[in-house]
Amino acid sequence: MIETIGADVIKGVNNMGRFARFVLEVTKAAAWSCSRTRTYPLIWAQMHLIGVRSVPVVMITGAFVGMVLAVQAYDQLAGMGLEEHLGVLINISVVKELGPVLAAVMLAGRIGGALTAELGTMNVTEQIDAVRSMGTDPVRHLVAPRVLACLLLTPALIIFADLLGILGGYFVSVIQMDINNRAYWNFSAQGVELWDVSIGVIKGFFFGAAIAAISCYKGFTCREGAHGVGQACTEAFVASFISILALDFALAVIFKGIYNTFWPVRSLV
Amino acid sequence: MEKAKGNKQAADASGDGILALKNVTKKFGDNVVLDDISLTMEKGKTTVVIGPSGCGKTVLIKHFIVLLRPNMGEIYFRDRRIDNLGEHELDKIRTHFGFLFQGGALFDSLSVAENIVFPIKQHYKITDRSKVDELVTTKLALVGLDGFQSHYPANLSGGQRKRVALARAIALNPEVILYDEPTTGLDPIRADIINELILKLQRGLGVTTVVVTHDMTSVYKIADRIIMLHHGKIIADGDAEHIRNHPDSIVQQFIKGQVSENDLAVLRMGGSIIQAQLQPRDELEE
Ligand SMILES: Nc1ncnc2c1ncn2[C@@H]1O[C@H](COP(=O)(O)OP(=O)(O)O)[C@@H](O)[C@H]1O
Ligand SMILES: [Mg+2]
Repeated sequence: MIETIGADVIKGVNNMGRFARFVLEVTKAAAWSCSRTRTYPLIWAQMHLIGVRSVPVVMITGAFVGMVLAVQAYDQLAGMGLEEHLGVLINISVVKELGPVLAAVMLAGRIGGALTAELGTMNVTEQIDAVRSMGTDPVRHLVAPRVLACLLLTPALIIFADLLGILGGYFVSVIQMDINNRAYWNFSAQGVELWDVSIGVIKGFFFGAAIAAISCYKGFTCREGAHGVGQACTEAFVASFISILALDFALAVIFKGIYNTFWPVRSLV
Repeated sequence: MEKAKGNKQAADASGDGILALKNVTKKFGDNVVLDDISLTMEKGKTTVVIGPSGCGKTVLIKHFIVLLRPNMGEIYFRDRRIDNLGEHELDKIRTHFGFLFQGGALFDSLSVAENIVFPIKQHYKITDRSKVDELVTTKLALVGLDGFQSHYPANLSGGQRKRVALARAIALNPEVILYDEPTTGLDPIRADIINELILKLQRGLGVTTVVVTHDMTSVYKIADRIIMLHHGKIIADGDAEHIRNHPDSIVQQFIKGQVSENDLAVLRMGGSIIQAQLQPRDELEE
């Protein structure tokens, strides 16, 4: 009993160590890629696959988040006669938390699954070995462009999610529930600061990098056969999902610290 | 000082060897696949490694370019130890090699032409597009597939994929070519064309060749030296004549494609068990 737990713990620690080394290698490779113009077409191609095709999915997610928030929160606020404050509630939730996190979760499913399956298949069909056999570093050639594309595009996709979330909330609140348009936007503008939108978008860099790094790692270490690839995809999604939530928490704490220290200074400048 | 001495010894041992394994052991968990193997490949010669499926031929051939690292032992290329080098240093060394993978390992997101250009693009700055196209055409013509440039690997048959993979492996005009089962899965005519091609590259360009296979027709045609692998050890090593007259029954059974008496006994027994124990389903349900 204790032995099996011990063995599991050792395996877990080993895996963490290997993942950490992988991340280090990817970071180096990504820095290298940024300094060579000849790798840009690879990044560009991945941006198209990863980013452009994800726009509809992310927009739909955003829109529904906004609409659902409006429907759910309306009754509570209306009961207190505060329904005109609905805008603050919806918009701050959307830009700060729900937009970024749900968009990232959608991306973990859509991109993460595809990356793991692609690299996993390349791994079991010896294509990654083939890249190495021709004197090319597979981390530079395959992983770095994907991580960079994800890192750069997740924030952009979050902006799309935010935008549609705000529109969705507006649609339900003002057009369906008949809240005064002017009051709705006034309260929103008072409640939501540039800071709130920024941290939502900045989180995107971390989420994007985490999703791509985890998915690529799972693809690289996947076991043989259709079963191995399927399992790697599932593990990649679960791991990405958990790290999105964990990163979200950690970033919330960090940004709160930063906000409390520096943001008041702004008014003095 | 100590290290320099070790290197020198290896150089002495290898003679005019271009590739050498010294006491290489490879394990996957508890599964010992290569057990203390020492082997030197001569420059310009064709060495064929034979052995049944699953005996570790692929694992062995991947060690020559350190796609797998040994648990113990050393690997030498031109008297330079390479198994302890970092990946980036190895990348330079690997450009001297061509490796044909068992399943071809073509990049399925790239067309046939792009697959062949891939290694060139990685190591050379392409300035003249038409020169590259010409080179692709030459390499494809060598394997009898000129005209397939814009096809994708998914639309090719297994044998065609292998031939494209061969064209890709020789794209950089390597000094050493490693073939992992080049003729497996090909019809006899195609297999013979591949054999001829291997001979042509070796005789014409002096390419050092290592072939891993269990196709005995191909072995006798191309081999200067034959090595048989069994349970992680080399059990036979010599020219075709030596192997044909080898006293070991395992070697004889393998090269003649015979089943051993033990295996036959198991087969016969298995048949009777099936008849005795299994009942047709519909009879049971009646
Ligand atoms: N990456 C790996 N992980 C674990 N075991 C492996 C791995 N690669 C090969 N093996 C094991 O090594 C043995 C030899 O495999 P291989 O070299 O592919 O045989 P073959 O002679 O058919 O090419 C097999 O038992 C296989 O299970
Ligand atoms: Mg094999």
